[in-house]
Amino acid sequence: MKSKPICSFPRFLPTGMVMVTSMLVATPSSAQQPDRGPHHSDPRWHALLHATLHSSPGEVIDDATVVVRNGVIVNVSAGAPPPNGARVWDCTGKVVTAGFVEAALGVEAPRSSEDAAGLHWNHERVTPQRSALDGPGVDADTRDALRELGFTVAAIYPEDGIFRGTSAVVALSDGTSAVAQEPASTLAHSAYQAIALERASWGSGAYPGSEMGAIAVVRQALSDAAWHRQRLGVHARHPRQHEPIEPAPALEALQQDVPLLFFTTNELQLLRCAKLAKEFERPAMFVGSGMEFRRLAAIQASNASLIVPLTFSEKPKVSSVAEADQVSLRDLMTWEQAPTNLRRLAAAGVPTAITTSGLDAREDFPERLRQAREHGLADRDALAMLTTVPAKMLGLERRLGVVRSGALAHLAVWDGPVFEEGTRLVDLWIGGRHHSINPDQDSSMLGTWSTSLPISAEEDLLAELEWTEASQIQIRSEEQEFKAHHVRTEEDRVNFLLDGNDFGVPGVLSFFAVIEDDELHGSVRHPDGCVHRWSAHRKEAEERLEDEDHAEGDHEVAAGATAVPEDYGVPLGAYGVRDEISARDLVVRGATVWTSGPRGIVEDGLLVVRDGKVAFAGPLEDAPSWEGLIEIDATGLHVTPGLIDCHSHTGISGSVNEGGQRVTAEVRIEDVINPDDVNWYRQLAGGLTAANQLHGSANAIGGQNCVVKLRWGCALPDEMRIADAMPGIKFALGENPKRVAANTERPEEYPQSRMGVETLIVDRLRAGQDYQEEWDRYQALGPAQQLRAMPPRRDLELEAMAEIVRGERLIHCHSYRQDEILMLCRVAQEFGFTIGTFQHVLEGYKVAEAIREASLGGSTFSDWWAYKFEVIDAIPHNAALMSDVGVITSINSDSSDFARRLNTEAAKAMKYGGMTPDKALALVTLNPAIQLGIEDRVGSLETGKDADFAIWSGSPLSYQSRCVATYIEGQEMFSLERHQESQQEASRERHRIIQKILARNDPEKSKRDGNEKPEETKRQGPVDARAEALWRAGMDPADTLPGECGCNDSLLHQWR
Amino acid sequence: MNHPLTHLCLASWLVAGSAMAQDVLPKAAPQDHPVLLSGATLHTVSDGVVEDGFLLFDGGKIQQVSAQDVSPPASTEVVDGTGLHVYPGFVLATSVLGLAEVGSVDMTLDKREAGDFTPEVRASIALNPDSWVIPVTRRNGVLTAGVVPSGGRICGRAAVIQLDGWTSEDLALVPDAGLVVQWPTVGPASGSRRRRGPSEDGSAAKEAIRELDQFFDAAEAYVDARRVDPSVATDLRFEALAPVLEGAQSVWISATSKTQIESAVRWAVERNLDLKIVGGRDAALCADLLSRHEVPIAITSAHRLPHRRDLSYASTYELPGLLEEAEVPWCLTMSYWSSSNARNLPYEAAACIAYGLPAEVALRSITLSAAEFLGVEDRLGSLEAGKDATLFLADGDPFEMTTRIVAAYIGGRRIVLEDKQTQLYDKYREKYRQLGLLPGGQDSSD
Repeated sequence: MKSKPICSFPRFLPTGMVMVTSMLVATPSSAQQPDRGPHHSDPRWHALLHATLHSSPGEVIDDATVVVRNGVIVNVSAGAPPPNGARVWDCTGKVVTAGFVEAALGVEAPRSSEDAAGLHWNHERVTPQRSALDGPGVDADTRDALRELGFTVAAIYPEDGIFRGTSAVVALSDGTSAVAQEPASTLAHSAYQAIALERASWGSGAYPGSEMGAIAVVRQALSDAAWHRQRLGVHARHPRQHEPIEPAPALEALQQDVPLLFFTTNELQLLRCAKLAKEFERPAMFVGSGMEFRRLAAIQASNASLIVPLTFSEKPKVSSVAEADQVSLRDLMTWEQAPTNLRRLAAAGVPTAITTSGLDAREDFPERLRQAREHGLADRDALAMLTTVPAKMLGLERRLGVVRSGALAHLAVWDGPVFEEGTRLVDLWIGGRHHSINPDQDSSMLGTWSTSLPISAEEDLLAELEWTEASQIQIRSEEQEFKAHHVRTEEDRVNFLLDGNDFGVPGVLSFFAVIEDDELHGSVRHPDGCVHRWSAHRKEAEERLEDEDHAEGDHEVAAGATAVPEDYGVPLGAYGVRDEISARDLVVRGATVWTSGPRGIVEDGLLVVRDGKVAFAGPLEDAPSWEGLIEIDATGLHVTPGLIDCHSHTGISGSVNEGGQRVTAEVRIEDVINPDDVNWYRQLAGGLTAANQLHGSANAIGGQNCVVKLRWGCALPDEMRIADAMPGIKFALGENPKRVAANTERPEEYPQSRMGVETLIVDRLRAGQDYQEEWDRYQALGPAQQLRAMPPRRDLELEAMAEIVRGERLIHCHSYRQDEILMLCRVAQEFGFTIGTFQHVLEGYKVAEAIREASLGGSTFSDWWAYKFEVIDAIPHNAALMSDVGVITSINSDSSDFARRLNTEAAKAMKYGGMTPDKALALVTLNPAIQLGIEDRVGSLETGKDADFAIWSGSPLSYQSRCVATYIEGQEMFSLERHQESQQEASRERHRIIQKILARNDPEKSKRDGNEKPEETKRQGPVDARAEALWRAGMDPADTLPGECGCNDSLLHQWR
Repeated sequence: MNHPLTHLCLASWLVAGSAMAQDVLPKAAPQDHPVLLSGATLHTVSDGVVEDGFLLFDGGKIQQVSAQDVSPPASTEVVDGTGLHVYPGFVLATSVLGLAEVGSVDMTLDKREAGDFTPEVRASIALNPDSWVIPVTRRNGVLTAGVVPSGGRICGRAAVIQLDGWTSEDLALVPDAGLVVQWPTVGPASGSRRRRGPSEDGSAAKEAIRELDQFFDAAEAYVDARRVDPSVATDLRFEALAPVLEGAQSVWISATSKTQIESAVRWAVERNLDLKIVGGRDAALCADLLSRHEVPIAITSAHRLPHRRDLSYASTYELPGLLEEAEVPWCLTMSYWSSSNARNLPYEAAACIAYGLPAEVALRSITLSAAEFLGVEDRLGSLEAGKDATLFLADGDPFEMTTRIVAAYIGGRRIVLEDKQTQLYDKYREKYRQLGLLPGGQDSSD
């Protein structure tokens, strides 16, 4: 057995007893199985002596004594003698820490059967009633892998679904089931409710199929849970006045006092989840993606607690020029900065725990942690992230994560400084039970041994044994150097083979030896069967020291090579913004100013900006004094209001369409703003400053819109929103909703004709009306009556419908044919609300008089047509003709590309229909502002409005002009000079990082250098011939096609 | 006789007024008398700009381009071009004009044949001369186009068409203009393709190129065998390949990424083929290769998003200038996924001017350079004596939105500048006049 244990067993015990401690010994408990033979007894009373104890991060006690009794630490002190009766473990030279806590470990858990009572309708994905303890718990392999890393406790959760179920905290003790033979192994039964924004794949037709849909599911369920509680309250107070409340285990599981744990796939999703939790005032924590550094300030501001994996992004492939060209600076920087994530989170004061989850292999964990430390993560912080922080998140900070009197005896014993390379975990104490992880001799025999090998009956070979790993022995004599084969080290014995050919003896020699401290004694069997004795002596430790020096040298080199820039812009990658450009007071002089206001087009005009607002825009002679302001000489240039895109699908994460249901009024684009989409920057370079982000047109009643300013580089995604814009919602008529419904697997899916589209819309508007009335009746009750009455359920879909009926939410309706346009006009008139806009509205010119009466106008394309049958009568004169008849008209992009040149799209209205230049420009400035309810802030250059403007090299209505600068509220968001600088910087950075990768591009290492691709390269899409064909023909299937409303995804699906 | 411009407009209006929809309008009659455009600014493309010039055409061909007044034959119709500009018709190198009508309705599309290797199919066979899209396109001065099939690996043969004619045969200037091949994806996929597109790894690309080689080898063997033994059974696929193998017909390979272009050039050079590239997003990265082998390249669109995140927003507009600098023979074309907005070709070129491309180079890229790409530079692309009288008159710079094209000729035939869209416009103006929402008066048909 052990010849030299790290924590020696008391000498008075027979060594045979050692194994008992790691076997299962029952704790007195009612759940205990009866013993099947003679009783076992374990006093469970131990004392660890002479340890260097990290009782908590940063708190070190030398020569510490830790006394454990019945699984609990009963005493911790410096230099104290062990109590009589306790088993003594000598930890001289050892470092003791609290056992590590894994805060998020996914396990299988069964779903309730489909006919169980009180399930959520979406019982595949919404299963909050599940418990991680329902399943088999932690499997033995995972348990062992975690133990080897120093973990003693894990919070387990059911690993699939949106609402996944409750987590339990379990000790990583023996017994494969969480419903263990050891009841004490479950430390907490509902540490958190696990939630992920999981969505169904495209084409499955299941709900939710988008990230915003998943958020809507979470929002509705949390709301339902609160409602259910309220109902139970009413019923409890007035049981005789109400029907009994159906039990709802799903909703009951979402009770207020269980914290929510959101699993996130990127930093933006994390911010979204944080916002969602705040909306319901629920305590929440977040499992991160490892990319939090990309939005650190925002995450810091959200006050989130994180559980972060060590999933560094995959090392970009740059070994050929062609490959390198394909890699974005964003991916390069993400790779380079990923190991700094934990250090940055610590510095920002974000409570962060480390999880081993998310890695391809848990054995990569120490190497990743080492990289994080090389990138500045302090050992003290690392220890906290593995002990005290996760313990606190699980509400067990008094019991776990610290080595203090009263805490549970979860301890890790190391043979050196805890995170140092080469330090090994020796023992674990899990709930007061000893588990030997790396018995000491495994390392103690390493080193150089001198020996005289009896290689034949006559001859001894003087040699050195270089024992580098337990299974690696190199043998060096004066003449030869060769390897031992089949080295097997078992406990304190070693067996190995030598190939006689290595030293001129035919056959194989089989060696055996017992390791006795610094000596090996054993025998060798020669090929002829004769056995000879042999022995070896450990050489003095000098060489080991040299090795250590060497290792340290390596470490320094490595540290030098990992130097990464401290600062970077937002968003990460090319064109990121480092510092806010704050010149908000300025004057632009000499330009032709297109005001889109009553002053019209002013030659040699002046634009004065103060505090981000237009102080003056007009002719020089009327201008107020602008002394002291920064002057921009724009002589010969043109200035226009920032352009506004009334139909955009740019910067929407996780699908533009929620196609899982035909009515999805509950989903909200504002939940999934993606401020990192580089197309925002490209659109700023085309003079665009605001956009109406719309849901796609897959369904008759789509999701809620979001009106944004293009604040590229903003810290928080929400800063993009124009909060006081009129709320809106997407509707869609005609071929798209028909086609999507027809493509589901349900033959009766509604609607598949224009007749059905109308019916569905009327039906839901009526439902919205009914819903409103129900709430009105409830709100009309006095406080006392309300206590008695059952509250109506808040329904997020109907709430939006009710807002439409009340005139508080504008419909932006995808529409083409005149009959369907007229239909919606009549429906709106019947319900008495005004429509926002008809989008596309390519036959709007046929019923302009109706549009004018029923809506805030039409928002159309300049000249798109013939891409589907319902647009065969589209004419490019549409905008001009609708305007002539008095319809407020705008021209939009419906495409991340077209949004870069709305000015020339608008100019086409001069060509087709003879619009005047100022009216043509208004199609993309004032008119969309009116349609979005933001005309009091933007859309024209008039005193008091936001100073959102663009400067052009020539007439904004000429293709031969380009935008030279774009401002939002007086801040320069784009300029040609800055663009050039950013490009140069991006190029420098690219090459620097590529060089760095090339310099250390050894294949062995790259395998371990990352496993998770950055989120944006991981998105999956349909792989089909149509996408290929699109590419061939010069179209980018990733961009939306104008008129398809983000639906070309579905088109790609449909087309063979 | 001297026709002022107003006459021209009126004449076209009268013709348009005689029918309810453009697709049932008569095509232009053959030129039966000489026409002299007098006093206009002639943008010859091949030989600079002639201010206050004279251009005489007859029998469908340009007879004279001159700065001095010419003395025309007695029957000549003299058009007063004072203040007007004459340009050769724009040439769109790649399109699906006549092959595709409504993008989402498969039954209106004839641009793909089934199978990976279909060299035998010809775009010129399936041209619909009454396509609604054709008159819409030519109203902006686009008078000639390449028509490209796009299915499979070897897609078929492209045609060059003029945008007016009674039959598909009238349209087809060159029925067999080139063999269209879609190059397999080689090397790392680009930009968003990495996420969305098919992932052809190295082996798939190798296999695809091997199949292509085998097909070409088999065709060579077939041609050799038939030469010796005419009793060898006919194979239309290989027959179609014969002129390509002889170098009599060019191969148009669609290739976008650097590695794709490199691989295609290497392949074609090795097989001694007459190569042209369509696509060419990364062409600037292999400009040296392209210019060394003098491979003509048709860039599909300046109006598109940069295909890599780090590329400058302006990169697509700057690409033509880089190719020009590197002396690569290039022209500007548009995506041939759909050609419903092929009318915007001049604006693609104009956008590049804003990013530094000289205006005359931009003009050449959609006239003479495109004609060279299509192999019809002896007939089209510039105002030169002996070339087709395929040209238009505009009241200004056709790169500007406010410019109107006032007359256009294809092979000397004056074409109607009306279409379904202008007629719908007029029709619904009438509706609003009836409702009193628009003042009465004459239509402005543009």
